[in-house]
Amino acid sequence: MKARRAGPRLHALEVPLEGMSLLIPSASVAEVVNLSTLTAVPFSEPWLLGVIGWRTLAVPVVSFEALLGAPTPGGRAGGKILIFYPMSGRKDWEFYGVLATAEPRPQALDGSQPPVPEAGLPNSSYIASGLKIDNRSMFIPDLVALQKAFYP
Amino acid sequence: MADPNQYLRMQLDGVSYLLPSVAGFTIEQRENLVTNKSPDGNVVAWRSVRSTRLPAYCLDANLRVTRHQQWHRAVFLDAKPQAVGLVAVEVQLLPRAETVISPFTPLGLPPTRAGHLFSGAWVTGNRVILVFNPEALTSYLQSLGEGA
Repeated sequence: MKARRAGPRLHALEVPLEGMSLLIPSASVAEVVNLSTLTAVPFSEPWLLGVIGWRTLAVPVVSFEALLGAPTPGGRAGGKILIFYPMSGRKDWEFYGVLATAEPRPQALDGSQPPVPEAGLPNSSYIASGLKIDNRSMFIPDLVALQKAFYP
Repeated sequence: MADPNQYLRMQLDGVSYLLPSVAGFTIEQRENLVTNKSPDGNVVAWRSVRSTRLPAYCLDANLRVTRHQQWHRAVFLDAKPQAVGLVAVEVQLLPRAETVISPFTPLGLPPTRAGHLFSGAWVTGNRVILVFNPEALTSYLQSLGEGA
């Protein structure tokens, strides 16, 4: 079998979720913080777990599992919140968080990682594609679809 | 008259929210209101103004209609066609220098025609108190009606 050619390295983070992992560019994350008290936002979407105080801002925290239609995981010991930089075109204070079940792990991508076949991807518009790393599937979020859900 | 940059802290059933003074509101003591003796219906009390009755609602921490007896005041928001109120366990006008409000936009679809219920937050360490968007809060309260 012909080996895939290695290209420039891209620094990514594997984000452990309940039953799956996301793969995101490291540069999209401002900080990773411990799971702290979430303040509920009444009448919000089921995937919005609440807000946390971060620096001087209230940062909304999202359950990616709930976005994919799975049950919302309870906050577990060791859980982390990834604080993402604001999405393209949004205000500079519009950071948002995603709840992870554990500390994200760095992954260096060089183009040699094979894609996850279409049939292996979750049936959700919030997943754009996936890569196989160490024989494990990691899914890449569709930021355009996420932005439409976050800011309809 | 309240400073437009001041905030009123309202404690509802264990959770505090802030209301910007720019909203325009009147605080009434419980004894000045006509309480709803019936256990049915959404309105917990009315304020009589000339020939009209302005409804006040009792909301829980998640802003759903509830009934309890621990409230002492009602805050009536100035609105068209008429003011609408919500009762609070405790209200406190916070000194201007004490509150630093950050902008905040909840994610997802807004729950009212006037937009999201919150437009800001007061963050002190891990503690977050959400700031009402007065137009959306008014729209929500007006949508509650008299109920059964």
